[in-house]
Amino acid sequence: MLNSKNLDLLGSEKVFVSYNQNTIEIKNLRKIYTGKKVIEEVKAVDGISFSIKNGEIFGLLGPNGAGKTTIINILCGLVNQTEGDAFIGGYDVKKNLRKIKELIGVCPQQAAVYQYLSAKENIEFFGKLHLMDDQEIKDRSKEFLELLGLSDASDKKAKKYSGGMLRQLNLIIALISDPPILFLDEPTVGMDPRVRRRTWKFISSLKESNKTVVLTTHYIEEAEELCDRVAIIDYGKLIAIGSPKDLIREHRAKDLEEVFLKITGRRIMEGV
Amino acid sequence: MKSKRIFAILKLQYKNLIRSPAPLSIILILPIVLTLIFSLMFGSVIIEDLGKSVFEVLVPGLYAFSALFMAIPVALSFSEDREQGLLKRINTTPTTATEFIGSHLLSNVTMSIIQVAIIAVLTFLMGYRGSVEGTVFAFVLMVIFSMSTIGFGLITATIAKSAKAAGGIIQIFVLPQQMLASGLYPLPSEAKAVSMFMPLHYVSDALTLLSNGVPLNDLRIWGDMFILIIFSLVIISIGILLFKKYSKV
Repeated sequence: MLNSKNLDLLGSEKVFVSYNQNTIEIKNLRKIYTGKKVIEEVKAVDGISFSIKNGEIFGLLGPNGAGKTTIINILCGLVNQTEGDAFIGGYDVKKNLRKIKELIGVCPQQAAVYQYLSAKENIEFFGKLHLMDDQEIKDRSKEFLELLGLSDASDKKAKKYSGGMLRQLNLIIALISDPPILFLDEPTVGMDPRVRRRTWKFISSLKESNKTVVLTTHYIEEAEELCDRVAIIDYGKLIAIGSPKDLIREHRAKDLEEVFLKITGRRIMEGV
Repeated sequence: MKSKRIFAILKLQYKNLIRSPAPLSIILILPIVLTLIFSLMFGSVIIEDLGKSVFEVLVPGLYAFSALFMAIPVALSFSEDREQGLLKRINTTPTTATEFIGSHLLSNVTMSIIQVAIIAVLTFLMGYRGSVEGTVFAFVLMVIFSMSTIGFGLITATIAKSAKAAGGIIQIFVLPQQMLASGLYPLPSEAKAVSMFMPLHYVSDALTLLSNGVPLNDLRIWGDMFILIIFSLVIISIGILLFKKYSKV
């Protein structure tokens, strides 16, 4: 489904994807860190290619340091790739970053919120950066704060929030502008199991509004529960891709952890 | 450049100032305290050669001194935001670097104007009778100098790995200018020569000339202003270039 906002943002310059077309495409992506402080060059991303369809929840699964966050950082324009191409909604991240930033919402791994602002004020600030109207910000923030159970604490300063609450606020800020594409980098780290479940339900519900979600995680259960497809990454390389069920069936494993173990001889959580 | 974004960042800056006691005290309370201390200590000490009190001689330095300290909250704010991942987050929104840095500049200019107003009113209440054009010129100089303070803040935030480190590193820019160029301390000619490489020198020099009754159309005053503009443009450009290259906003 194509909503009017997507059309407005892209204008006549680009016709946005229809369902099942590739929303995100990366081809032979490489990121090699070199520099004075790096003794040996580090291949954070080593020749990865895949595509993500519109409306899909796509997981990047792998141990810490596998290259998941680097891939997201390249797609958001925070890091330049060394080689390869990356496209979002048909736009090249090297050439059309401004357009891409209008299409994406990013929930970073670190809960990046202003500590001296309340939840409402944080949401309002980032909404304004996306040029949203006051009423639109108010309505959407009310809806999200209620859905994630933060309504009662919405006027408290973020510095008084628990780690889990900060992570939830972090997620709401990413969603406030109603972006068609979302990057969620380890969105549930530090949440207690109850809050994590509620957040999973919330992320699952994003499918109903046809959002494309790219989610990095090292939680097997999270990938299995939420993702339509996962790409398993290790040492910057793509080692497997497919739906969790297909991967488990193909590798005759009981879960994705065992899939990872069978391919690499290690456990995902070993590096965590 | 979208005004909505600029206002949002400005509002954020003001909220930060109001809710964080350290920057607020540096920007607003420091000039109040300094003015009161100097007027009470030196208001009745007369320099016979000049026919002025020591306090009256120090007033131009008060403006310069207070403006210089604006660099500290700027450096801390950029460094803290970077440390907390906020700059990266802003960089994933459609906000441009021009909007972001321009908003900080505007917020600094406003704070400088408030500082000048505080000092002008307080020094007047304490008996200092400066010229109207001198006070207006002080406003203009402070606005120009605020570009330098933003530049120093950006350079510091680029170098510093943390907000704590930024608090120390910014002193590289603040302390020498405070000692050599604020006009608050009597200095040998060698030190004065060194101070000519510091933008604050031109603020305090122009204000001192005006305070000594030199008319506004004097070329020395406009020369100071011209050099200050050049310094400020160079410093803020270096700050923006470094910050954009190494801090990704």
